[in-house]
Amino acid sequence: MARRVAIVGVGLTKCSSHRRDVTYPELVHEAVSAALADANLKAKDIDAVVYGSMDPFDGVFALERWNVDACVGAGAANMPFLKLTTGGTTGGSTALGGYYHVTSGMFDVVLTVASQRVGETLEAQLVLNTAIDPIYERWMGGGAITVVANQASSHFHYYGTTEEDLAMVAAKNYACALNNPYAHLQRHLTVEDALKMRMLSWPLRLSDCCPSSDGACAIIFASEERAAKITKTPAWVRGKGQITDNYYIGDRPWFQDWDGLTMLAQRVYKEARINNPLQELDVAELYNAFTIQEIIECEALGFCEPGKGAELVRKGVTDMGGELPVCPSGGTLCTNPIGATGLIRIGEAALQVMGKADKRQVPNVKTALGHVWGAAIGFHVLMILDKEKP
Amino acid sequence: MPKRVAIVGIGQTKHEESKGHYMYHETDFEAAKRALDDASLSRGDLDTVIASGWDAIDGRTLSDMHTCMAIGGYLKDSSHAGEDGIMALVYAYLRIASGLFDVALVAGHGHREASIDAVTRVVFDPLFTRPAGRNYIITMAMQANSYMHKHGVSKEQAAKVVVKNRANGARNPYAHLDSPVTLEDVLASAPVAYPLKALDCPPESVGGVALILAAEDVVRRITDKPVWIRGIGWAIESYEMGDKDLAEIPSLAAAAQRAYKMAGIRRPLNELDLAEVHEATSFHELMDYEALGFAKPGQGAKLIDEGTTEMGGKLPVNPSGGSLCANLFGASGLVRAAEAALQLRGDAHGRQVAGASLALAHGLSAPSGAAAPTNCVAILERG
Amino acid sequence: MTQEEEILIMPGAWNLPFRHTAGRFASRFFRELRDNKKIFGVRCPECRRVLLPPRPFCERCFASIDEWVEVGNQGTLELFTICYVPFLGLPPPPIATIMVKLDGADGCLSHILGGIDLSDVDKAPELVKIGMRVEAVWRDERKGEIGDIEYFRPVKSSRRA
Repeated sequence: MARRVAIVGVGLTKCSSHRRDVTYPELVHEAVSAALADANLKAKDIDAVVYGSMDPFDGVFALERWNVDACVGAGAANMPFLKLTTGGTTGGSTALGGYYHVTSGMFDVVLTVASQRVGETLEAQLVLNTAIDPIYERWMGGGAITVVANQASSHFHYYGTTEEDLAMVAAKNYACALNNPYAHLQRHLTVEDALKMRMLSWPLRLSDCCPSSDGACAIIFASEERAAKITKTPAWVRGKGQITDNYYIGDRPWFQDWDGLTMLAQRVYKEARINNPLQELDVAELYNAFTIQEIIECEALGFCEPGKGAELVRKGVTDMGGELPVCPSGGTLCTNPIGATGLIRIGEAALQVMGKADKRQVPNVKTALGHVWGAAIGFHVLMILDKEKP
Repeated sequence: MPKRVAIVGIGQTKHEESKGHYMYHETDFEAAKRALDDASLSRGDLDTVIASGWDAIDGRTLSDMHTCMAIGGYLKDSSHAGEDGIMALVYAYLRIASGLFDVALVAGHGHREASIDAVTRVVFDPLFTRPAGRNYIITMAMQANSYMHKHGVSKEQAAKVVVKNRANGARNPYAHLDSPVTLEDVLASAPVAYPLKALDCPPESVGGVALILAAEDVVRRITDKPVWIRGIGWAIESYEMGDKDLAEIPSLAAAAQRAYKMAGIRRPLNELDLAEVHEATSFHELMDYEALGFAKPGQGAKLIDEGTTEMGGKLPVNPSGGSLCANLFGASGLVRAAEAALQLRGDAHGRQVAGASLALAHGLSAPSGAAAPTNCVAILERG
Repeated sequence: MTQEEEILIMPGAWNLPFRHTAGRFASRFFRELRDNKKIFGVRCPECRRVLLPPRPFCERCFASIDEWVEVGNQGTLELFTICYVPFLGLPPPPIATIMVKLDGADGCLSHILGGIDLSDVDKAPELVKIGMRVEAVWRDERKGEIGDIEYFRPVKSSRRA
């Protein structure tokens, strides 16, 4: 068995459409300082750094270089430092990178940092579109919204999900974000308001789509021996994994389901010995960049049967007071600094396990799930955190 | 206790000026195929794949959507080091040492689809440094000049590195530049950025490289010629060039110290049989000698003057010809590891160092040249 | 601090030139569009799927590919959205982006749907249906690029493949 690993500190920054008050290194420093303070650690306690971001939203290529010394002075101290980038899953991949640094036995306390200043680009979709193969497909504009709108139109067609269902997901997340001081969108939204929003890409309206945010997140992972000394409330990694589906989405046009996520969930639940996720998980932080995705994710993750995701929303199962609250933070729908977002999902799940989620805390959380997707809906990362040592 | 990790498969394409008949990710595919064939494995035997390279150089954000498929990642647990391929090797090493994966494939590529000069300019922060006219080669030239000035190193001494590496590259069938040059050729070549002349700088090559790593429990099932990773270390350094003594490479020195400690090496010049170093320019190979502890600070050029690092010398450096003969911008470091591993298996043919059993591979991951480069050192041993 | 400090914003822009290699697979695909108004996929020697767009290897079987297969000019619309907002550098809205499974292919081609008035946000989704038959509309002046197929349009007759 590999070494046991726990999250011992989480640092979030306030996210907004443009953090004009800070330079990039200052924004990163804000997240790193918060994580160190949360774990009551000093810079010298960190053995290695893993950094995640997705070039080139920020207008600076390989931006981790600019920010290297904002990460506990890693440059000046000639620390081990690794940059990972996997699109929307970057933050999730960064967490996995930190986890494997510790399980390798080479390091005991590892800082993971992810950041993005989407607010520094004037057209995020143009950047996203460079992910699309320039030979065959880029010309027609495959930014994220149109790809995800395909998920929605497909789910509507095959499962009868409606615009009202999407509006309920939006209203739920907006309400949660009001409890989260780090969230970007902080306003009331009713189902009626949502249904009046401007149509962006049928059937997705403005309120079905995440904003572009500036923000950063830092999480500290520690080995079993060190975790016990650092904190009384570690969040133990109980299961984790990543899956890579085919790039050519034309090979898998059945967008109403999310087969890659289902497959990964089966692997990760097996590792964590979870048989009934709806009952055994206490909270889930899903990467719901768009309302429809929260519905499909609930299905793919086995919270309900395929096609029944909208029912969970209608019945309030995923509300704050429901059987399995989904995204008490307001989720990606309310805050999306792209490369940092995955790490925020895992950080929020960890805060719930640690009992540090303040106004957005779900009572008595033992087990929490963090989920991240990316890469033209082809990549997923999952991490299950637990109050008890696995 | 970390699992021991070995290199069990090696694949390279020919590195060359262009590969117009290939799509972007085919160099990764060809290298991965060759590495799998070399190890007699199939895609199904892989537990994880790690891609590498800089998205802005590739002109595709999220390049791993393409490259992970090209290296066997379909429905597998993959990741992507936004670095030189040597850092993909680092990450695969960590995953296998954990005991959580048995077999990993790592790969990297070089392309000439971008203007590297233009892309490496936008690494620099838009507030202070970018307006001052910086890119990869300009910062490397500033570093070379600093080194030359501080230690009285001459352009001729740097040129000798080019002559040595180009002679070696002429014996490497994978090399891009495979013809020898003379000292006069180097000194007479076109100025690029003082003190660098055209032949002091690596070419831009198109090609791919892949390595397969395996955990100790499964190594013997795969090969009877494993190459063990005895030590590995990596380190980054500061971004602000004004904060540093540019005549030194502290991240390389730190990486080397970690790798030596792990491998139990005290006197590298005596204990190593060869080194494949990732020389950013001819001057940098001399600086590398010092940071790697082959020579004292300021004494690197002595090794080239005395022939210590030639083929047949006490410690041959870059028998492959190094990055001066083939330079995948984004994977030259991983090529160094592949070449060192070939040497230890006795499979380096015309460029073989006889009886090599312990080798050093150095990779440089430097999107911004001398600003915040990462250096990695691996100590490899014949199994 | 009694007075809010003025925070400056520095403008920036990247203008990075690239030259993307089409390679022999995309080159042949585009030549066939340009010269013969034909759409070709490739067949994986192991799983036998006919893949679009053409590619040098099958990701699932990890096999090299060298068999070319002509597929139909008509196919079935498998997925769509209608985008109503303008994005810098992308075609002007409204634009219906679709995935079409051409007759004889196992994978879908990414393209756009034309020949339909999409301007009415409420009515347009009624005009585009998953499962509808569509056909390629070719440009007269073809350059050897994906845009040589100007768009796909609904097939007039109700004939099903």
